[in-house]
Amino acid sequence: MSAHRVRAITRRLLQQFRRDRRTLVLLFGAPLVILSLLGYLLRGGGDVPKMGVVNLDGSGLGSVVASALESSKGVSASPMSQADADARLRSGDIAGYVLLPSDFSVQSQQSRSIAPEVHLEGSQPGLSQSILQAVSQSFAALAGQAGGVRFAPRVTFLYGGPNFDTLDYFGAAFIGLVVFFLVFVITAVAFLRERGQGTLERLMASPLRRAEIVLGYMLGFTVLALVQSAEVLAFSLLVLHVHNVGNVALIFVLEALMAIAAVNLGIFLSMFARTEFQAVQFIPLVIVPQMLLAGIIFPVSTEPGPLQALSHVVPLTYAVEGLRDIMIKGADLTWSSLQLDFGVVLGFCILVILAGATTLRRRIA
Amino acid sequence: MGRDSYAVEVEGVAKRFGPITALDKVTLRIPRGEVFGLLGPNGAGKTTLIRSLVGLVAPEAGTVTVLGQRMPQLDVLARVGYMTQQAALYPDLSAEENVRFFGAISGRVDGVREALELVDLWDRRTSVVATLSGGMRTRCSLACALVHKPELLLLDEPTVGVDPQLRIQLWDRFRQMAAAGTAILISSHVMDEAERCDRLGLIRFGRLLAEGTVGELKAKAGVERLEDAFLKLSEVSES
Repeated sequence: MSAHRVRAITRRLLQQFRRDRRTLVLLFGAPLVILSLLGYLLRGGGDVPKMGVVNLDGSGLGSVVASALESSKGVSASPMSQADADARLRSGDIAGYVLLPSDFSVQSQQSRSIAPEVHLEGSQPGLSQSILQAVSQSFAALAGQAGGVRFAPRVTFLYGGPNFDTLDYFGAAFIGLVVFFLVFVITAVAFLRERGQGTLERLMASPLRRAEIVLGYMLGFTVLALVQSAEVLAFSLLVLHVHNVGNVALIFVLEALMAIAAVNLGIFLSMFARTEFQAVQFIPLVIVPQMLLAGIIFPVSTEPGPLQALSHVVPLTYAVEGLRDIMIKGADLTWSSLQLDFGVVLGFCILVILAGATTLRRRIA
Repeated sequence: MGRDSYAVEVEGVAKRFGPITALDKVTLRIPRGEVFGLLGPNGAGKTTLIRSLVGLVAPEAGTVTVLGQRMPQLDVLARVGYMTQQAALYPDLSAEENVRFFGAISGRVDGVREALELVDLWDRRTSVVATLSGGMRTRCSLACALVHKPELLLLDEPTVGVDPQLRIQLWDRFRQMAAAGTAILISSHVMDEAERCDRLGLIRFGRLLAEGTVGELKAKAGVERLEDAFLKLSEVSES
């Protein structure tokens, strides 16, 4: 063991990094960007879940519960009619509502057990949890006036159900995500290898059109991506039993569109990297912020306002929303929300195909 | 069709990369059926000149005409073979798969066997390129450049790492191809290789210093050896 030799290696390594500005920026910049984003997401005073209170009880206790809910910090509750609540639940505007029946006061004083109806949208377990918690806390306000009352809400779910768990929620998003990111990385690296080993130079000195290269790449990787998509989907549905009430073919089509977009994003971004090493660096820069913003982990509806706007620019948000709509809500193409999701993903595909083809031309000329 | 008897016509081509002048008003004509040697030290502009012939370098001034077509023009590239300095191959594919691929993108796969036999790799055709030696890779790369039977063959330092026996074999084949009308442009900094060419161009600092047969160049410099001729002609133009 020679300290000189070890030092030679360490020194050389640091010298290399000093030349590689891009890596340095990434090494010291990316963590700050990601942590800021995460901090803002979690502490930025994001919106709390919206819920409705349908108070049919004319006398005292109903309004005690209602006002307790409306002043709750965990949810943003507002009074509404039942018809209104149902419509807003269906449109996804509110995450749930509580129904206080007309005999609510009588019931709670006589039967020593209160069973309000809680209607949940159900597709986002986190939001459902917040609402149930807020409702049960609001009933604690009754304790003074109707001591010893047992609280047993009757919960109904518009989507999902009582057994709907976190995997069901994440599963839908991850089916698309896994394919998107793996395909992106593989394409970017393969394209850079083509450049590094000199074969791209040869392709450029042949009668091949740029569009032919991009299209050939796209088809080749799409074959791989489709097989991978099918595998991921089959495993999720058959082995993990991820909740699905939608059309499997529709899920597959959306996944395939994401895969095609990923291939072209890989080709496009590989133009901005010189080495495979640099291509891998796109992961924290391109992929992590998208993961945080696309509503995969934190629902877009509860993000701080400015981030919500940003989320609506990230194409992945629409893909994730689309997959969830299909799998959790059983959406089909007659739903305008799903039409929007498909439209955005398709538009993104076309955009990156064009971007890939134009940058390829520019770099070579 | 008089003009078309030239495989390459370069007129006053200039190209700079930042402060470096890679090509300085180069004018050059190579007729069909000629083996033309581009001779010069590293960094003289040989590779830039060859890349400008296939449209990979856009000249700032001047015109490039290849096989009668004003460049850049993609379709004419199907009739051009280009072997890069680095053996540009797909390491995960076999020798035959590489040759077949490059044939296919130029529209011809009927010459795969012939090309592999020429470079003495037919027996190793199923070997994955990553397992081939450096010399074999160079040969495989050459096979990729001529699989589609090009009318113009551009070879950037083709015989680096090729043993003398195979070099003789390759030159025999170059001669045959030239006799059949193929123009061949070979860049090299090896003098004994240069002596085999029909005509030579001496290039340095991006300038074509002199052009002619080996005999003409020696006579012009008034020396016996080509190497001396090269040195002398370089000095003259610098002063």
